[in-house]
Amino acid sequence: MTPTRRSLLAAGAALPFLRAWPARAQRQTGVLRFGLSSFPPSIQPWVNTGTAAATVKLLIHRGLVSFAPDGSLRGELAEAWSNDSPTSWTFRLRENALFQNGDRVTAEDIRWNLEQMASERSTAYHRAQAQRIARIETPDARTVRIVTAEPMVTLPLWCASYHMMMVSPRSPTGAGSLPVGAGPFVLKGQERGVSLDLEAFDRYYKPGLPRLRGIRMVAYADENLRVAALQAGDVDLIEYVPWQAMASIEADPKLRLDATDGPFMYLVFNATRPHLGDARIRRAIAHAIKREEIVKAAFFGRGSPLEGLPLMPGSAFHDPELASGWRYDPARARALLAEAGVPNGFTTSILATAQYGMHKDTAEVVQQNLAAVGIQAELRLPDWATRVTLGNRGQYDIAVMGTTTENNDPDGLSTLIDGSLAPSFVRSFGLRVPRIEELLAAGRAEFDGGKRRAIYAELQRIALAEAPIVGLAWRSQGYAMTPEVKGFKALGGALNFYSGITLEEASIG
Amino acid sequence: MLLWAARRVVVSLVLIWTVATVVFTVIHLVPGDPAELLLSSGGVAPDPAAVAELRERLGLDRPFLVQYGDFLSRLARGDLGTSMIDDHPIMDEVLLRLPRTLELIAAGAVLAVMIGIPVGTEAALRRGTVFDRATSATAALLLAVPIFVVGTLLVLVFAQWLRWMPAGGYVPLARDPWQHLTLLTMPALAIAKGLVAVVFRMTRAAVLDSLSRDFVRTARAKGLSPARILVHHVVRNAIIPVLTVLALHMGTLLGGTVLVEYVFNWPGLSTPLLKAVEARDYPMVIGIVLTISVLFVALNLVMDLVYAALDPRIRHA
Amino acid sequence: MRRLAVPGALVAAIVLIALAAPLLDLPDPVRQDVARRLSGPGPGSPLGRDEFGRDVLSRLIWGARASLTVAFASAGIACALGTLLGLLGGWFRGLGELLALRSMDIVLCFPPILLALLVVTLLGPGTATLILVLSILFLPGFVRVTYAEVLSARSHDYVEAVRALGAGPLRILLVTVLPNVAGPILVQLSLAVAAAVVLESGLSFLGLGVVPPEPSWGLMIRGARATMAQAPLLLLWPCAALTVTILAMNLLCDALRDWVDPRTAAAVRLRAIDRVLPGLLPPPRSDAVLKVEGLTVEIDTPAGVIRPVEDVSLAVGPGETVAIVGESGSGKSLTAAAVMGLLPPAARVAAGAAWFDGVDLLRLHETALRQLRGNAIAMVFQDPMSSLNPVHRTGDQVAEAILAHRPITAAAARREAVALFRRVGIADPERRSRAFPHEMSGGMRQRVMIAIAIANKPRLLIADEPTTALDVTVQAQILDLLADLRRETGMAVVFITHNLGLVAEIADRVVVMYAGQVVEQGDTASVFARPLHPYTRALLAAVPEGEAKPEAIPGTVPPPHALPPGCRFAPRCPHAAPACAAGVPPLAPQEGRHVRCVRLDVMRGETASA
Repeated sequence: MTPTRRSLLAAGAALPFLRAWPARAQRQTGVLRFGLSSFPPSIQPWVNTGTAAATVKLLIHRGLVSFAPDGSLRGELAEAWSNDSPTSWTFRLRENALFQNGDRVTAEDIRWNLEQMASERSTAYHRAQAQRIARIETPDARTVRIVTAEPMVTLPLWCASYHMMMVSPRSPTGAGSLPVGAGPFVLKGQERGVSLDLEAFDRYYKPGLPRLRGIRMVAYADENLRVAALQAGDVDLIEYVPWQAMASIEADPKLRLDATDGPFMYLVFNATRPHLGDARIRRAIAHAIKREEIVKAAFFGRGSPLEGLPLMPGSAFHDPELASGWRYDPARARALLAEAGVPNGFTTSILATAQYGMHKDTAEVVQQNLAAVGIQAELRLPDWATRVTLGNRGQYDIAVMGTTTENNDPDGLSTLIDGSLAPSFVRSFGLRVPRIEELLAAGRAEFDGGKRRAIYAELQRIALAEAPIVGLAWRSQGYAMTPEVKGFKALGGALNFYSGITLEEASIG
Repeated sequence: MLLWAARRVVVSLVLIWTVATVVFTVIHLVPGDPAELLLSSGGVAPDPAAVAELRERLGLDRPFLVQYGDFLSRLARGDLGTSMIDDHPIMDEVLLRLPRTLELIAAGAVLAVMIGIPVGTEAALRRGTVFDRATSATAALLLAVPIFVVGTLLVLVFAQWLRWMPAGGYVPLARDPWQHLTLLTMPALAIAKGLVAVVFRMTRAAVLDSLSRDFVRTARAKGLSPARILVHHVVRNAIIPVLTVLALHMGTLLGGTVLVEYVFNWPGLSTPLLKAVEARDYPMVIGIVLTISVLFVALNLVMDLVYAALDPRIRHA
Repeated sequence: MRRLAVPGALVAAIVLIALAAPLLDLPDPVRQDVARRLSGPGPGSPLGRDEFGRDVLSRLIWGARASLTVAFASAGIACALGTLLGLLGGWFRGLGELLALRSMDIVLCFPPILLALLVVTLLGPGTATLILVLSILFLPGFVRVTYAEVLSARSHDYVEAVRALGAGPLRILLVTVLPNVAGPILVQLSLAVAAAVVLESGLSFLGLGVVPPEPSWGLMIRGARATMAQAPLLLLWPCAALTVTILAMNLLCDALRDWVDPRTAAAVRLRAIDRVLPGLLPPPRSDAVLKVEGLTVEIDTPAGVIRPVEDVSLAVGPGETVAIVGESGSGKSLTAAAVMGLLPPAARVAAGAAWFDGVDLLRLHETALRQLRGNAIAMVFQDPMSSLNPVHRTGDQVAEAILAHRPITAAAARREAVALFRRVGIADPERRSRAFPHEMSGGMRQRVMIAIAIANKPRLLIADEPTTALDVTVQAQILDLLADLRRETGMAVVFITHNLGLVAEIADRVVVMYAGQVVEQGDTASVFARPLHPYTRALLAAVPEGEAKPEAIPGTVPPPHALPPGCRFAPRCPHAAPACAAGVPPLAPQEGRHVRCVRLDVMRGETASA
């Protein structure tokens, strides 16, 4: 729209909304407009500040390895890796990897990053993992050898995490400054709380990428507005498509939906409270819940029941029979309650939050289902911050939780069921199953594929009996876009939040 | 006059200090602290050592009174501090976002006055007729329907169905004035919805009251034209309570635009306030609340001056 | 009273339905039926089901309980507490006032959402917390309204009077002040309830309101909004319930306010005279400045149509002063108002004519009448404080009267105003003309009123009790002024009063009115020397003179809707006979005046023999 035509029209009409032309921001060629679900509170590379920040970090930074669209590991800053011994992994760095300040990425830089993450004063999310590194050797500028205290088969996996990206040691320091990364996009500017503008890094180590000239990320906190913006043409791609809108987007020929199951809802327990320390009661609760109702009510049918531990169907560790160990069986539930000495149920409470609709809705269904077997549960719905604090301190009975595992590897379950870890709102409180802890440790150190599968199969069997958590439902995580967006793909399972990595290959128009 | 102003300023300062202290105390009392919450984002378990580390870095492990003292001394220097979440200076954030909220409220108020005062006056003049009943019912309706429903419907109708406007968002005035004003329209309408009803009701009541006053009888006895009587005598007197009520409502809107900002994605001051409370970002909460209090107090002072300008009895009281 | 019925019934119905929820045979509002979620109206659920399959109608009615409880409770608590604080602050001033007002300022400084957020976060969500938050939020409104009203009421005469009687502050507050602030507080209450219901929905939208699965309208709206695309009707029901409730509350409170503080409310109607007599009667030939013939004024009241002025005729010659005298309620002010075309909206001229300069003022179009008002015909009213606009300078108000009728410059008008100030005897006129009404004494204000009236050299001045509100010395000065002006300009004056002493002093002729009718009129000297009508005699006897004790007239003036048949004074007349009640006595000429009495011969006989 040239200015002259605009001023002609403006002269003609009195009010803006009487004009004929759509009054909205026009798309610049090659710039993708992305609708975020919230503005990242902080995009410091190693701190976990939520999934919106993760998406942005996947654009600005790169780590040693990452996940390919099919979910497998692929090299990034490292072009090859191998483990020479159970306790050591060697990474060979790329020749042409550069930080965005022009410096070459060297082995020293990698060592510096890992040491920073593991340091005393670090607030890094993977600090615990980084501290399991015994030493780092850098025989030459392109080789890094990581020696761990104990065998760690999962090391490359958490090197692919978006909280393990490598930054330049010569980044500017000082309040509010951002470390320099090695990713395909550079942060050009931001409007705090509103939008971020990114520009392609012309010396990215993958030739021909990124295909986009730039990305403009705008935060739309209200999910309805996010969808409306996409439908109105204000943005090209949105994340966190609300479940109620998925059906209509699929039906719309002008839009495309890419959704996979990945995150899930589950229950955690405070084992120090009456009755909840008894595994039979926890199992009874597991059998009392009609998971289809949760999927329907909270997620508009976009999801599927989770009747076992959250291992993705399609994963090598998934066992169909073990995956339905907690199926809906009210008679069984009542029998278990009777066995545990409370045939008529008991009173308790369910902690969730009113702030997130899916948590609230899940809790309401669970409450109803438990009431049907005699367990009278009162809902407690504080705001999210209070709920997290209560969870961290173990001030609850039963709590509803929603998350995704780190990656599709079963070791990701540790954070949910390993009772030896410090108390946290993501896992049960005061609930230790020593055998589970042993199995988890063994799984981390076992390099043989078959043996590893057996370990995790036994883990599932024990978990089904002990119920350290109770799975409720998988939920669909969706991205919606206009057909002009090409090359973007939603990764499956727990890796859904890594989908931003495909933006380096995405193009528009 | 000067003494009066000085007294008001002192009272205002005490007021602001009280508000700051109350907020500071309450926000530290509510469960949850920013370090823990920041590292718990995304539903993952924070490393307790990392949490302790961050807590120490943010100064959260010091005794309450030490933190309070530190806060007061910074405040005396005019320093609002930095956000605990990302170290961003709070004053910058406030200065960036405040004008947008003010703009929203001002636009809403202008619309409310432009529509509310004439219609309210007319309804008072035609008291008891269909016009009066219809407009009063409309005002009641406007007050009754919640603002987020109105907002959602506006987006639905104008952005999604008619495609006359973008579905929310913000563009700075300097960058694209037309777009800026277009984006301002719907949120301003939503804000005006409640204000217009209040202005209408107040105008109607005040005009009715004015009409029955003796000086209107005198004016008629002078043989003045109805237009002059209406404007120069009736409305001139009625405007005082109307402006008072309007100012009161605008004051409460200063921190109350959160629902409109949410529905239209307007980046005003209310949203970061809400987010800051959610994240327990203490300095940000206090910084924004202090800003609002100062503005509110200033608004009151201005209103008092305007009041005195409009009503000479106050001046000499 | 009738206006209360409809909204009152509506609000009562809503409240009753909400209260009766457990008794009605409703499905469980909490029980889910997820298989049937979002289904439309069907058997067992006339309004359909929500996103969890729960019955909408049932949730609507149970939700009414929650939403209304919160709204009424919080508005009620805020009203009670706020009114108390406002009363105390406004009455006792000082520290109490400071605390009351400033604490409210502190509350107002808090954005409502922040306050709600903080309180809910501290105390946990739920109905009790919600009521607490909303009560705090509404307090300032009530305190301010009450405080303002108490401040203004303090200075009113009736309060001063009660204080002078020695009543204690509590008694004064409760019995005297409180009923007068009831009106604005009721309005505030309606606003508070409306706001509470809306706020509750907003807070529930943010997750800070009523705890699910308990239903509330706000929660229903939140849920319905999420499923707006699939089931738009779901949004309609709770919104409609909200809207209807708030509308009913508003109407009820408006009606209550009108009932507490009545003002006559009716649209302007066509004058009866224009409907009855289409043609203009020819003007009578006379040299009277004003000639009123058979003026009758009607007012619609809830008790029926009354005639506060009936068949009044009088004439004023050039340069003449005619006094209209009578008790309050005799219709004298309304007569003047009718002539000027300044009747209140509820009143209308039913019959008669008022000839001025060959035109009938009562049939004149408003535009033409306006040109006469303040110009050829001027009026001075009783209460000079309220008759002047408090926000404009007195000089400007006089200039306004000049500018309305003469095309001169504003500066010239101001100069003339200053001259007029001087003419009416206001010292230091330049400075005084820039003063505001409240800076002047009563006497000075009345002089200003007179200045306004004579600004355009009227041929007729109607003065409605101009000195009643002034003290005796000032009274005398004003009367002198009027006499001066009359001599100077030759204007005719109609002087309305209830003070016979004044009449004797200034009036050439007198018209005595009783209960809307003229009972005697004639030249002052002879009427006072030899009053013919029993009422006139009683009036004169009631005037204290020297050492003689004044005799009060037994009985009271009959109310306009319960007038006696026949002579209206008959019930109190010592000379009454059955003939008096037979029909209204005509105004008959007698001894050079007009008297409305059929018993004159009898009385003449008595007088002669006395």
